[in-house]
Amino acid sequence: MNREQGRAEALFMPRSFTTTESNLTGSWRYMRPRFEEKTAPCSTACPAGEDIPRIEMLTTQGAFREAWETILMENPFPAVCGRVCFHPCEGSCNRRGFDSAVAIHTMERFLADSALRNGFRSDLGKLQSWKERIAVVGAGPAGLAAASFLARLGYVVHVFESLPEPGGILRWGIPAYRLPPSALQHEIARLAGLGVEIRTDCRIDPSGLEALERDYDAVFLGCGFGKDRPLGIPGEREEGVEDGLAFLSRIRGGASPRLEGVSVVVGGGNSAVDVARTVVRLGGRAVIAYRRRRQDMPAFDEELQMALEEGIELQELLAPAGIERRDGKLAVTFRRMKISGEDADGRGRIVPDGEAKLEIEADRLFTAAGAGVAEDWHRPPQEETGLIKLSHSILVAPEGRPVRAYGGDATNDVQMVVTAVASGKQAALALDVLFREGPAAIRERLAACAVGPGPSLSMEIYTGGPRKLRTRHVVLPEEINTDYFAFEPRITQPRLLVEERSRSFSEIDLKISAGLAIREAGRCFNCGICNGCDNCYLFCPDVSIARGHEGEDRRINYDYCKGCGLCVVECPRNAMTLEGKS
Amino acid sequence: MHLDVLDQELMCSGHVGCPGCGATIAMRFFLKALGEKTVMVLPACCWSVIAGPYPQSTLKIPVIHSAFETGGATASGVRAALDMRGDKDTTVVTWAGDGGTFDIGFQALSGAVERNEDFIYVCYDNEAYMNTGIQRSSSTPYGAWTTTTPGTDWKRLRKKNIVEALVAHRIPYAATANIAFPEDLVRKARKAKSIKGSKFLHIFASCPTGWRIPSEMSIKIARMAVQTNIFPLYEVEDGVRYTINYKPREYLVREYFKLQGRFRHLTDQDLDAIQEMVNEDWQLLLRKAGEHA
Ligand SMILES: Cc1ncc(C[n+]2csc(CCOP(=O)(O)OP(=O)(O)O)c2C)c(N)n1
Ligand code: SF4
Ligand code: SF4
Ligand SMILES: [Mg+2]
Repeated sequence: MNREQGRAEALFMPRSFTTTESNLTGSWRYMRPRFEEKTAPCSTACPAGEDIPRIEMLTTQGAFREAWETILMENPFPAVCGRVCFHPCEGSCNRRGFDSAVAIHTMERFLADSALRNGFRSDLGKLQSWKERIAVVGAGPAGLAAASFLARLGYVVHVFESLPEPGGILRWGIPAYRLPPSALQHEIARLAGLGVEIRTDCRIDPSGLEALERDYDAVFLGCGFGKDRPLGIPGEREEGVEDGLAFLSRIRGGASPRLEGVSVVVGGGNSAVDVARTVVRLGGRAVIAYRRRRQDMPAFDEELQMALEEGIELQELLAPAGIERRDGKLAVTFRRMKISGEDADGRGRIVPDGEAKLEIEADRLFTAAGAGVAEDWHRPPQEETGLIKLSHSILVAPEGRPVRAYGGDATNDVQMVVTAVASGKQAALALDVLFREGPAAIRERLAACAVGPGPSLSMEIYTGGPRKLRTRHVVLPEEINTDYFAFEPRITQPRLLVEERSRSFSEIDLKISAGLAIREAGRCFNCGICNGCDNCYLFCPDVSIARGHEGEDRRINYDYCKGCGLCVVECPRNAMTLEGKS
Repeated sequence: MHLDVLDQELMCSGHVGCPGCGATIAMRFFLKALGEKTVMVLPACCWSVIAGPYPQSTLKIPVIHSAFETGGATASGVRAALDMRGDKDTTVVTWAGDGGTFDIGFQALSGAVERNEDFIYVCYDNEAYMNTGIQRSSSTPYGAWTTTTPGTDWKRLRKKNIVEALVAHRIPYAATANIAFPEDLVRKARKAKSIKGSKFLHIFASCPTGWRIPSEMSIKIARMAVQTNIFPLYEVEDGVRYTINYKPREYLVREYFKLQGRFRHLTDQDLDAIQEMVNEDWQLLLRKAGEHA
């Protein structure tokens, strides 16, 4: 090209005309990212195995109905557990080490309230229909949970309850200020929708049990701990001494005596605290006398704290020794105890403090020092042919004979509402495996639907829902990318003022607003599950992650993914995994 | 994270950027913010290679490859040509590395912004001449190993403060951004587009290969540069109005240094000295922004 020509013609510039998409850079990859949902620690700690990260995710999105139904999938009683559960979930929350645990309990209550207020209906119906008929004895949390899961699994279920209304401890034991009757009613009403028939005022005795065994393919016994254990001291039968559970049941049955004067409550569990707080609400003074110290009490500390604010007195290290009736009053003698060494459970061992004694003059005394079965046959056998002992329930399935299952307090190490629910659920799933595949398959099939390492079980996993795709790996706090989270104070549960609450049985914990609930749910890391935050998609340097539109899953395009692993590290919640390329 | 940007991708798969390349992430966010009415001038740098060999292009916008030292001048010419054609909508962008900006391209850049040419100059900063094999630049930070500051001869000079040099030109807009803070990056790119005259964006873009870091840590480490105050996020309007966009939790700089092979040789004493330099720079910035610590 000479100078003249160069001037005359346009400058030649080569122009690209194709993209780089013909370079399949996936061949560079030696590490391989993939989407892999995992298990959140809270959900393994929840005895009912609720899918908490998903519940909170849906709540954040304002999808309250779906969130509520996600609870119902695993636990038929969110309105109850959202109020009275001891929420072990929160104790395992990964957010604890960051600022403080997510208020999972408060969220559950909120969702149950929203369901009630908005009249949500659940789509969780019967999955199929089987011919087997199952009788449930005892309409407490274990029996009702078993009934609910069995009905969903397709069985005909009849519940037999000796008292005039169903609910067991929920109806007759827990005071209304913790669990108002309306909350319970709605939960139980849902069972009818599943076709469960509850026969109240129908007491079953050992011969009745035999009759049930003739008429049904299996009987589930969830009779609970219906009776306080006697103190085993002189004077226990004096007038003015009452079984604490019987007292609570009397009050929940509508009685409203004036309880002037001093009531001594012997015990340190939730029932003892409930009895004392009930006494105060009926105009009396209450003294809780406990053998050990406050820190050793099985009662929820929050409840005890409120009780103390309501004016209840706590006397520690007092073991009851005798009761006498003197001048129309009770003279209660206690031995003073002291701590010496440690018990196997780590609590201080108590021994008598020499000869020291204390006498308390009282108008009445309530025993609430631990409960047991009301009748011997409520207790499961320890040995019997065909006995299958599971973590929360016991099955007795001898070949060719009727099947019996036990759940609730009698088979649980921890006697709580949610563990009762867990036992009912476990027994229901075990019975389903028994009927469909035989007893040999029970352990394996239950293990396959455990949440993480178990023992909590998931109905969703059992029935083959999407949750079954998650791995057992329990997300550790250090696997959360906390760069994506800011400190946020935990919601505080609004409550009635102490003056208001100590005079009435109105519910103490107040409702929270949807706005606050959404904010609190937003604190959840959603450990191990994808909440669609888009980090992986946005940060991919190779434009190799497709978001997936409505209903579709996110996808990695391995034609181009170079395996840099950024998506896995930037996923805030460990919903992805980087594996060595095979 | 929610980014309010185009769904459309203006950068294609199949480019030859290293796994975990921060410079490609910077480009993707930037173009998602700016949209397709953009012409880009690419002086020699890693991105000249990433953009693809003829006849390929990984970007779905017009790209002009230019000589290493001519980013500012070429963009001025492109702007003038578009103006002559009456095209006021298209944004002209120079996309250059730190070598091409801090060092060899500096006079062309200084000239262009002194004339207040209407364009955005983006320097994606990977803190060395990466394309030619990790040679130090005036952007390489104090303490870093490069192939031209090897062994015990690691760089003992401070990184040039390029934003301040541009601010000294009193241009309408100069800002820092970082690939680990996409919302901030996108906002600044849009803001730059909306302003007439010369705009300068200094984008921190990690380089797994040159920094001796695992590819999956690329974002994490870029984020730490901000969290430690090593690379503060701020913007300056008209050369005088400073705004600090992010107040970090102030992690110790050693947390950032200890993750990177290029700083492996540094002793605790060196790290203390670096911490002091970082503190000093941060105090200076706070004063300029009228915020006293
Ligand atoms: C005048 C000139 N000198 C040297 C080179 C070789 N060269 C090409 S890219 C490059 C380094 C670019 O470094 P930087 O601008 O920091 O971009 P990076 O490669 O790090 O992304 C060099 C030295 C060249 N192309 N032109
Ligand atoms: S942050 Fe959320 S998902 Fe993670 S443990 Fe806590 S409640 Fe469960
Ligand atoms: S980064 Fe976000 S969108 Fe991607 S897998 Fe994790 S949670 Fe889901
Ligand atoms: Mg460079």
